[in-house]
Amino acid sequence: MSHSKAAEIFNKNENKVNWHDKALWFVRHKRDNAVHQVLEWEKLRTLGSGIKAHMLSNLDNYLIQFEENAQKNGIQVHWAADGDEHNRIVHQILKDGNAKKVVKSKSMLTEECHLNPFLEAHDIEIIDTDLGEYIVQLAKEIPSHIVLPAIHKSKEEVDELFQEHLGTKPCGGDPKYLTNAARKHLRKKFIEADAAITGVNFAIAETGGFVVCTNEGNADMGAHLAPIHIACMGVEKLIPKQEHLGVYLRLLARSATGQPITTYSSHFKRKREGTQMHIVIVDNGRSEQLSRPDFRASLHCIRCGACMNTCPIYRRSGGHSYNATIPGPIGSILSPGIDLKKHSSLPFASTLCGSCSDVCPVKIDIHTQLYKWRQIITKETPQPKLKKASMKIMGDVFANPKKFERIGKIARWSLRNLPKSVINSKPNIWGRSRDLPKGEKESFDDWYIKKNKDEQ
Amino acid sequence: MNSREKILEKIKTNKPSLLELPKIDKDIFVDVNENQLSKFKKMIEAVGGNLLTLNSIDEIIPKLIELFPLAKNNYSHIIEASGFSTIDISEIKKPQELDDLDVLVLEGEIGIAENGAVWISEVNLIIRVLPIITTHLVLVLKESQIVATQHHAFEKIESSDFDYGIFISGPSKTADIEQSLVIGAQGALSLTILLI
Repeated sequence: MSHSKAAEIFNKNENKVNWHDKALWFVRHKRDNAVHQVLEWEKLRTLGSGIKAHMLSNLDNYLIQFEENAQKNGIQVHWAADGDEHNRIVHQILKDGNAKKVVKSKSMLTEECHLNPFLEAHDIEIIDTDLGEYIVQLAKEIPSHIVLPAIHKSKEEVDELFQEHLGTKPCGGDPKYLTNAARKHLRKKFIEADAAITGVNFAIAETGGFVVCTNEGNADMGAHLAPIHIACMGVEKLIPKQEHLGVYLRLLARSATGQPITTYSSHFKRKREGTQMHIVIVDNGRSEQLSRPDFRASLHCIRCGACMNTCPIYRRSGGHSYNATIPGPIGSILSPGIDLKKHSSLPFASTLCGSCSDVCPVKIDIHTQLYKWRQIITKETPQPKLKKASMKIMGDVFANPKKFERIGKIARWSLRNLPKSVINSKPNIWGRSRDLPKGEKESFDDWYIKKNKDEQ
Repeated sequence: MNSREKILEKIKTNKPSLLELPKIDKDIFVDVNENQLSKFKKMIEAVGGNLLTLNSIDEIIPKLIELFPLAKNNYSHIIEASGFSTIDISEIKKPQELDDLDVLVLEGEIGIAENGAVWISEVNLIIRVLPIITTHLVLVLKESQIVATQHHAFEKIESSDFDYGIFISGPSKTADIEQSLVIGAQGALSLTILLI
């Protein structure tokens, strides 16, 4: 299904769309407030972008350095070329450790690799412990936002879900009651877990350590209790030195939720005594994206979600309409690199207003990349007949001033004289929920010529 | 060729030519006229924590009793406040046994004015899960340990080699249900900073 079709479904519930739109715009405001309190924010962004660009230009060496240091620290390092291999590696570690119950903190990478269904098919219980992810897991859905996974769900829906799965009492969607119920339930899961899986926010080549950021404390609860800790990371999570964390920890939470930093920023370097620590380094198309000069910078992404919160299309179409692990503007430039055909409608899910690029903490030129993907997609994938034909006609009209003038005159006359039922007839998609302006008698050209004459 | 070699080879072929690594000039991020101590206090409040200023280390225990009159299972890793402990941490065999811990008192090593985060490394943590699994967390911090930004904190950490360390800024929280902020997600329900 194309993005626009899926968005249409999301837009059937107008109240919900309006709420979604406003809730995310409020997060964007919180981001602005937080950012304005930082002296030289723009220089910080430039550093964030520059360090990542440097890292990518030397990524192979940094990966080798990271592996060497991590191994020195007693961490076992694994390499996965794709999602399947990642899943098999994780499963093998769990199998070897006789682990049947697994708790997992937020990791978009494991979503991308579809780890949960893979492990479940092998009879392993895997519980998502971030509250938002826990909600979508119970609902058998996928996250609709990378930082706010359950932003598409109303509190009443969560209430019903918890009644069904956790046996809670009806509470009218009281967030405090529901959060506490999840806390109690998850506490038991943490205590019983045989293994913990976490994502990696930043991996440091210089030290072989890695950092995991959460607000809930769920990554720490998992990793510090279970005897096995598996951390899964994409190759682009690397940064050269520990001091560079200063830049990214300052950028991440402010851009994501408007907090000055996440509640917990955990620095893992060596395992606890008597336990295992594993890192799985995953490529899954990233090295391919690295080969594309126009799209390489998309690998700077630190997964803050700011581009989603600000995007007028994302806010009004919802994350699920993108039909991709990473939705929104950043997802729309990452996904076509993985499967051009499947995700061919995504770069068109944008007004190209550029707001995403403005808020991006690592200065990815998202809207420029969206435009560039459009050029490729139009050439390489079949386009709808109506769109192709109308583009051809428009190209012809815009290239011919006389024709443009004549058609303009007819169009303006029509807008003045034809009934609405004709103007807003079926082929006019714009007219489905909006009216076109009334046609002026004068064109801009006429007005301009007249104005110049009057002034002389 | 195994996956490791394949991935590294592909990256080597596909990466752009070497770009320069930018240098961080941390001083440009600091307003010299700003009082970092009052900023730290403001930020602790903003992130949902409580901050109390004590005159001396002797005031810790009376303050803890005042704050947590009903707490039963307590542990203080601050020697001067060890009288507050009701459990013997050396008897803990598995971290899971800490599930019913009410109050934990630890020493913070660095406080950051710009975000209210406090650094604790494994030396002062004893068991990694402690500050997360406890119901209430109390961090004792000296005023002299407050730095302006995250960059300054990493400068201080640079020379130390830690197995594990954590920045904690406020109590655990979530806003995953309709964006309503709820204090107390999976970690500690409250955070108190005792500033000396």
